[in-house]
Amino acid sequence: MSILFQKIKDNLLAVIPIVIIVMILNFTITPIENHMLFNFFIGSLMIILGLSFFLVGVDIGITPLGSLTGSSIAKKNKLWIILLSGLILGFFISIAEPGLLVLANQIDFVTSGIISSLNILIVVSVGIAIMISVGFLRIIFNLPLYKLLILLYLIIFILSLFTTPEFLAIAFDASGATTGILAVPFILALSVGISKLKKDSKASEKNSFGLIAIASSGAIIAVMILNLFSKSINFSEEIVSNSSENISSVNSFFELIPSILKESILSLLPLLIMLLILQIFSFKLDVRAFRKIIFGFLYSFLGLFLFLAGVNGGFMDVGTFLGEQLSSYDNNFVVIIIGFILGVFTIIAEPAVYVLTHQIEEITSGYVKRKAVLTALSIGVGFAVALSVIRIMIPGIQLWHYLLPGYVISLIMSIFSPKLFVGIAFDAGGVATGPMTATFILAFINGIASGNENANVLIDGFGMIALVALAPIISLQILGFIFKVKSEKRGVKNNE
Amino acid sequence: MNNNMIFEYELVCLIINFGQASKSLKIAKNNGINGGTILLARGTAKNTLLEFLGLNDIRREVVLMIANKDNTDKALKEIEKALNLKKPNHGIAFTIPVSNFLGCGDYDFSLKSEKRSENKNMFNSVFTIVDKGKGELVMEVATQAGATGGTIINARGSGIHETSKIFNMEIEPEKEIVLILSKISETEKIVTEIREKMEIDKPGNGIIFVQDVNKTYGLRDK
Repeated sequence: MSILFQKIKDNLLAVIPIVIIVMILNFTITPIENHMLFNFFIGSLMIILGLSFFLVGVDIGITPLGSLTGSSIAKKNKLWIILLSGLILGFFISIAEPGLLVLANQIDFVTSGIISSLNILIVVSVGIAIMISVGFLRIIFNLPLYKLLILLYLIIFILSLFTTPEFLAIAFDASGATTGILAVPFILALSVGISKLKKDSKASEKNSFGLIAIASSGAIIAVMILNLFSKSINFSEEIVSNSSENISSVNSFFELIPSILKESILSLLPLLIMLLILQIFSFKLDVRAFRKIIFGFLYSFLGLFLFLAGVNGGFMDVGTFLGEQLSSYDNNFVVIIIGFILGVFTIIAEPAVYVLTHQIEEITSGYVKRKAVLTALSIGVGFAVALSVIRIMIPGIQLWHYLLPGYVISLIMSIFSPKLFVGIAFDAGGVATGPMTATFILAFINGIASGNENANVLIDGFGMIALVALAPIISLQILGFIFKVKSEKRGVKNNE
Repeated sequence: MNNNMIFEYELVCLIINFGQASKSLKIAKNNGINGGTILLARGTAKNTLLEFLGLNDIRREVVLMIANKDNTDKALKEIEKALNLKKPNHGIAFTIPVSNFLGCGDYDFSLKSEKRSENKNMFNSVFTIVDKGKGELVMEVATQAGATGGTIINARGSGIHETSKIFNMEIEPEKEIVLILSKISETEKIVTEIREKMEIDKPGNGIIFVQDVNKTYGLRDK
């Protein structure tokens, strides 16, 4: 079976559960009107095809580029080159990230232009650039990931004491927004490329993961520092609620084409430029290999376009609609369960998740199977969505009531759990908050919030993304514990 | 110890589509084979259009298993049936004779390899399969014993000591295969050294097997 057909089959299996759930809801408690249902089906088809093309493109285009870049940086063997390239790469990747652009515009809008979107773009990109460099250093000097993460989250915690609640939510959302659909495969391949040159195979394996987690903490810290320097800003509730309404107003596929086309080109462009420059000065690949990477970029572009169109045109409305209808449903318990189920199945269709699980399988030679990671991830995200629904229903619960204990637990776990899984888990946190979650689930949560009088639409939406980023960290570390126990040899004393 | 017994052992090599290795290994274990090692690999489909589009990659898995001939015959028949190997594009299987095999607990063979010809260019390939992270130690020991080089291959696999499941999936811990080509005259020294330092004879510490190699290119004397 060629990789394209393999991927189509995989994605068919990933998307069909969501379709089935929506169908069941349609025939039982929330009948959906025909027009919307039709869009939903077209959207699902586009997502299946788009995901398949995108993932093939990542396989033969983006991942090889990242891996080659990583190796050539590491081979230079000079500290300043490594640091400088980390800065340049980090800045380059994040400044063109569409998710970050949206976020920056949102903040610009919310703060009535006091913090301009350009400012935010630059500050967050600089934060990520610095953190990518730090991540490179960690790989090279073999610093344990959990120590660095504890340090970083300690900084975040101290900063969070001085940030306003609105900025706290925005900061955590920024970390999800920057590790987008293209940055994830590229950063993953980059760290694999650097660490695979290491002689010590165990260290190389566990160093392959974690760079995404470090990079996204850079975004959080950058936004929080930005807040420190602009203390005087007052948020107007009115504007906050306005801004969320124009997110989900577009509904026809054709209206979406120009903006999505622009978004797809914008996200691929920096990588393409990087490829061309490095090909001329460093890689010097033969025509055959180079042609294959270019084809990979073409597939990524086609796939990204189809996928984004499908999600925005078909899934978002259904998500909002389901949320609104369910919020007026009497039985709260059923709504929470539906949230859980939607979370479980949506995450499977998240493109970056596929890339991460695939990468894990490659690096561990199939020891950590895709399905095992997916199962743990799904359960985690399911709980995250369910908890978000509960938070909307019970106004007393604040976001930090979840986040603080969650991060404390996950950091304590990181000291004890197998180090390979620490990297995987913290990376998965950034990976889980991709376009699928940010549209379908976010729309669903917003729908519930808008049907509930005492809930604030925007704040609750932000909280959901922060929770989805947190849950996999815990669930995957639990998986790590299970793996550790289960792979011990029976009847033989382990002499390690 | 007689040499006939040694030659009853053979290496089974399966090259199959991705995702079927764990299944094959399970079948093999049910048919008397003690364990196996799995490597990830890539193949290409023969299709001009797909080749033009850059889509001709296929993910494959390679399974290596060692057992005596009776068991491999039985296991291979079962695997052939289960994976439909008779149909095209479903994978291939072949066996290679093994001249020495160590580390399988129950058996202990003398290291006297059969000197069947006085061919000057006779080399052995020594495969050592150990837990992940120990490959480098094997290399170090082998180099001290006279090996001129070696290759570490990442793999996963399981022996009789390692069988467990997560969410109904087989778990196969990570391994490393160290492939060393050595002159027949030096093989014994290298193998003995690895065997002692890695405590291969204790169960669960890995296996070593040795094969005859007919021709080598690019190998240099020290």
